[in-house]
Amino acid sequence: MRRHYLVTYDICDAKRLRRVFKTMKGFGAHLQFSVFQCDLPDIDVVRMKAALTEIIDQREDQVLIIDLGPTESHPIKRIESMGIKAEWEERRARVM
Amino acid sequence: MESQGPSPGGDIPLLPARMVNEFTYCPRLAYFEWVDGEFADNAETTEGRFHHRRVDQAPVRKAKQAEEEPAETTIHQRSVWLSSERLGVTAKIDLVEGEGTAVVPVDYKRGKRPHTPQGAWEPERVQLCVQGLLLREQGFTCERGVLYFIGSRERVEVPFDEELMARTYELLDGMRLMTQATVAPAPLVDSPKCPRCSLVGLCLPDEVGWLRQPHEGESPALRKLIPSNDDALPLYVQTPGAKVGKDGECLKVKDHDEVIGEARLVETSQVVLYGAVQVSTQVVQELCKRNIPLVYCSSGGWFYGMTTGLLHKHVELRRRQYAVATDRERCLQLARRFVQAKIANCRTLLRRNHRAAPDTVLQELKNDQAHAGAVESLESLLGVEGTAARRYFSEFAGMLKEAEPGARFDFEGRNRRPPRDPVNAMLSLLYSMLAREWTVTLQSVGLDPYLGFYHQPRYGRPALALDMMEEFRPLIADSAVLTAINNGEIKQSDWFERMGSVTLTPEGRRRLIETYERRMGQEITHPVFGYQISYRRVLEVQARLLGRYLLGEIPELPPFTTR
Repeated sequence: MRRHYLVTYDICDAKRLRRVFKTMKGFGAHLQFSVFQCDLPDIDVVRMKAALTEIIDQREDQVLIIDLGPTESHPIKRIESMGIKAEWEERRARVM
Repeated sequence: MESQGPSPGGDIPLLPARMVNEFTYCPRLAYFEWVDGEFADNAETTEGRFHHRRVDQAPVRKAKQAEEEPAETTIHQRSVWLSSERLGVTAKIDLVEGEGTAVVPVDYKRGKRPHTPQGAWEPERVQLCVQGLLLREQGFTCERGVLYFIGSRERVEVPFDEELMARTYELLDGMRLMTQATVAPAPLVDSPKCPRCSLVGLCLPDEVGWLRQPHEGESPALRKLIPSNDDALPLYVQTPGAKVGKDGECLKVKDHDEVIGEARLVETSQVVLYGAVQVSTQVVQELCKRNIPLVYCSSGGWFYGMTTGLLHKHVELRRRQYAVATDRERCLQLARRFVQAKIANCRTLLRRNHRAAPDTVLQELKNDQAHAGAVESLESLLGVEGTAARRYFSEFAGMLKEAEPGARFDFEGRNRRPPRDPVNAMLSLLYSMLAREWTVTLQSVGLDPYLGFYHQPRYGRPALALDMMEEFRPLIADSAVLTAINNGEIKQSDWFERMGSVTLTPEGRRRLIETYERRMGQEITHPVFGYQISYRRVLEVQARLLGRYLLGEIPELPPFTTR
């Protein structure tokens, strides 16, 4: 069971920020500065939280994990984009 | 306490208290993890490990302080590792606290305290009791233990009373007895423990349980316990000269200096390289570490080999496979089944997709299917299969739509090496992809893909992969070719002819691979178990069932046929 998540963060230190960005690249698609769209099964949510906990400073930084519901429910309909259209990444085998 | 089972020591390694916990939960689970060396993570186990990271860190000894303070002081020691040859157990205790010679083991648990009369489930209490026994062995007084539940931040006291002691000794004996068996204990029946077990996907408790009973015709409504492992998807790299590198948690594919794509490692099931593609050592190591196979093929799709992590630890399974492979009668039995299922699926495909399938051909295929079930040797089976294949391919063109004007997807029967028309070229490519898929799947469940029962292990062919793929050829490869042509995904311009042989363009091949992968991801109703499942996952379930069959857990390997 996969769910969609929107993950946003505010990191106070440049070095930690880079590490958070790099880690988040492994879990979701980069949507905007400091915003990722993730499509994750529960095990990867745990992995993501574990990885972020190791990096961030609990007193200064903040990460928000916003649950947008199960993958089947087409959350893109609940996100309105103004300006450039937001494309929700489709899961398929990659051929390069 | 009199020991009934084998005594501690001897050949049996010390039983870890954690495994005693698993054994109490489910003996089959303990067998898989302890004897077979299998392990799979789920959200619960991952979270548990994360919560344990502090506890598991080696304790920092404050040497100075220890010298100054008197000997009799409070004990607060993390990650204490104790073993006892006499008891035959070992344990890493999260925390030992106490005063003087009276100590209490503390075990950290993810999650919340369960609301049971004893405040904890039996497996946890037994695990704690083993730790208590080890502490007593060291000369401490230890009358109780504590379970600390991280989720609700609660401490639960567990007294080591006579009853718990007796139960612990009994379980230790039972576990020692179990380790001497060559086959895992039977699965739990319809147990509420199964859905949350991380090994449910390889244990297949309900499926194995159902196949073990004699039954006639009725269709089961099984729980779909299989965790969605089919989430991860393959990455194909076919651009000549491309380089695959690792960037953080992603694989980055570059053509010269241009990034042509990225793939997240957590979502990658295998990496397939066609032709001259470079890959860095960092990538190879990371893939090995994560047990993601790295597959090498020629630019034309010929399967050269693959790099995987360490060999699967399940030795007994391979031993059974070799034993069955040398038994002519059992080989024949399995081979008949493979061929029958293949002919049945070919017939179904014709019946469904042919504009006007001749009744005679359908009837003949039905007869072939019956013949295949009655042949007395592998040689005559090859004959029956060949005849059936000729009949099927003679009608294959009837399943292709009228192509766009000027296109030429003519097909006059199967030919190979080199394929002389586009349909044959596509079939050849997809068959080799399916063989590769099976090789990877079989190896990942611990079977040897090179030793088959029907195909003979010659010419470096992955014989077992070819055996297992027979019934899936029409279902996956042939069907994907029909989709690609009939939906206009592959056009006249996607292939070119050179000296009588036909080749797909890189762009055409990319689209064909995508069609194939879409088919693999398609969810269908499992013909035996009745739940929805993707073909990608069907392959794994089928491979595991073959393992269960070889280990003698189920009387027969159910064929995979669709209606």
